[in-house]
Amino acid sequence: MSAEATKADDGHTKPRADKPTIIRCQDLGRTFWRGKERLDVLEELDLEIPEGSFEALMGPSGSGKTTLLNIIAGLDRPTRGRIEVAGKSLGDLSEAALAKWRSQTIGFVFQHFNLIPVLTAVENVELPLLLTKVPASERKKRAQTALRVVGLEDRMDHRPQQLSGGQEQRVGIARAIVHDPKIIVADEPTGELDRQSADDVLTLLERLNREFDKTILMVTHDPAAAERASVLRKLDKGRLS
Amino acid sequence: MIPIRYNLRNLAVRRATTLATALGVGLVVFVLAAALMLTEGLRRTLSRSGQPDNAVVMRKGSDNELSSSIANTQVGQIASAPGVKKDADGRPLAVGDVVAVIFADLANGKGKSNIVIRGVTPEGIAFRPEVKVVEGTLPRPGTEEVMVGRKIARRFEGLDLGGELELRKNRSAKVVGVFEAGGSSYESEVWGDLDYVAGAFGREGMVSMVRVRLESPALFDGFAAAVEQDKRLGFDAMPELEFYEKASEQTAVFITAMGVIIAVFFSIGAMIGAMITMYGAVANRRSEIGVLRALGFSRTTILVSFLFESVLLSLLGGLLGIAAASTLGMVKFSMMNFQTFSEIVFAFEPTSEILISALVFGGVMGVIGGFLPAIRAARTAPIEAMRG
Repeated sequence: MSAEATKADDGHTKPRADKPTIIRCQDLGRTFWRGKERLDVLEELDLEIPEGSFEALMGPSGSGKTTLLNIIAGLDRPTRGRIEVAGKSLGDLSEAALAKWRSQTIGFVFQHFNLIPVLTAVENVELPLLLTKVPASERKKRAQTALRVVGLEDRMDHRPQQLSGGQEQRVGIARAIVHDPKIIVADEPTGELDRQSADDVLTLLERLNREFDKTILMVTHDPAAAERASVLRKLDKGRLS
Repeated sequence: MIPIRYNLRNLAVRRATTLATALGVGLVVFVLAAALMLTEGLRRTLSRSGQPDNAVVMRKGSDNELSSSIANTQVGQIASAPGVKKDADGRPLAVGDVVAVIFADLANGKGKSNIVIRGVTPEGIAFRPEVKVVEGTLPRPGTEEVMVGRKIARRFEGLDLGGELELRKNRSAKVVGVFEAGGSSYESEVWGDLDYVAGAFGREGMVSMVRVRLESPALFDGFAAAVEQDKRLGFDAMPELEFYEKASEQTAVFITAMGVIIAVFFSIGAMIGAMITMYGAVANRRSEIGVLRALGFSRTTILVSFLFESVLLSLLGGLLGIAAASTLGMVKFSMMNFQTFSEIVFAFEPTSEILISALVFGGVMGVIGGFLPAIRAARTAPIEAMRG
């Protein structure tokens, strides 16, 4: 089952129905066990997301948003069903292959920023490139470029504790784009930010979607954040509505 | 690979825990290095007493000078064996000493210990050119005068210059000189006139062992074959260096074993310390590890990184340990030589091999202590990143 809410004439990117599907979930289910208690967090979920769209996923706590995001990002595996992302059937990949696939295909933006506290901004951004064959000098250049894209060229050598929340999240976004992934997954990217910083981060995500053609899937509780996406999907009790 | 600076900075951030753990490892490395340095000190002190072109002849079945005895009349036979070097006057370079042990009071009043008393001839002193009187004079032949090795000169009562030493009841000796012998074990002995010492210990007409200088070390086999040929004489010959190596063997094994046993026991504590520290590090950085896993770093990479951090921590401790152990080079140590049951004084000898071995031991402690925490780190699911 799939549901799409398209915003029209609001100045934002529209879903690109003409574009190929980059994320496809079929009859997806995820069950957790708490002792003997069975929890079906996702059930019979069908979803298709076209390449280059900016989609928001909303729903009450426990509705399965983050679980779905984790499965799409290759951090978790479904109990049932099939998931195909960027042309790969994730169920067919070994753990090592899945890790490699993640490093090439997915950019992560976390609610709590999750920067490594002992590394500087530029060193944090450089991390995904350590998994590539890019030479050290080129890695640093690319990390600096990514920080310029997010407007933090003057904070490159700062450690996370020397940055504001908004700046930390922008470093997180720079880290998410430095290796040029096709998809960016963002879990509550504005959850820890004040309104102004949240707006800056959302503007940045819009820009990445519009100018760099990144497919963005964002889980959020914040209606103002969801407003900025081109497609809004709602999840309730493990089903898209 | 995860950059090394990630590990280094994490160790620096947790500096108090890092230092406490490193000190634990450092203590073990210090103990191990000290024991090995002590063994080396003993080995070198004894081996300095030997010369490569010297050979020793003992009574068959003896393994030290105390238990060996050779009649004076047989010294000439040994000296005439092939390969023995001759001096400018054509006399073979062969000397026999009488060796005995007395039980004497320590100068600090803290009990008693054994001293080796060596009776030598003037030729016996000349045979060892490394022996030099540094205070007083040489004892005169045929008198009760003795000279004392520098290392024990002030350790025993009566061994000061001018002091009196009782060899046996009513057989006292007067200290007229203090000598050095190139840092060898001779410096832990008292030397007097051969006949006076032999008389004091009822060993007239005997020597303990005969030393000869060979034309060349390569001639030893021929010399030994000639000396050992007559089974009735019952002699055993061996190169002097080998004799001293054997003399240090038992004590060296004892010191090494003690050191290793203590180090191994201590290391269990230090490894547990390292393990607790690394478990703490893994628990505190669970989310960070999750992020690294989410970004695509493999389990192996995470394992290696945390193992590396544990090794770094231990190597830091190891460096502290060997730095502390290196300062022991100035410390002199006195203990019983199990071969002669007499006191021998020697120094801790730091060598690069010992320091590197102790450091490697520290590193191995890091590997063992850090292994389980590193496995826990590697098992962290990437989904931990989402939990923040």
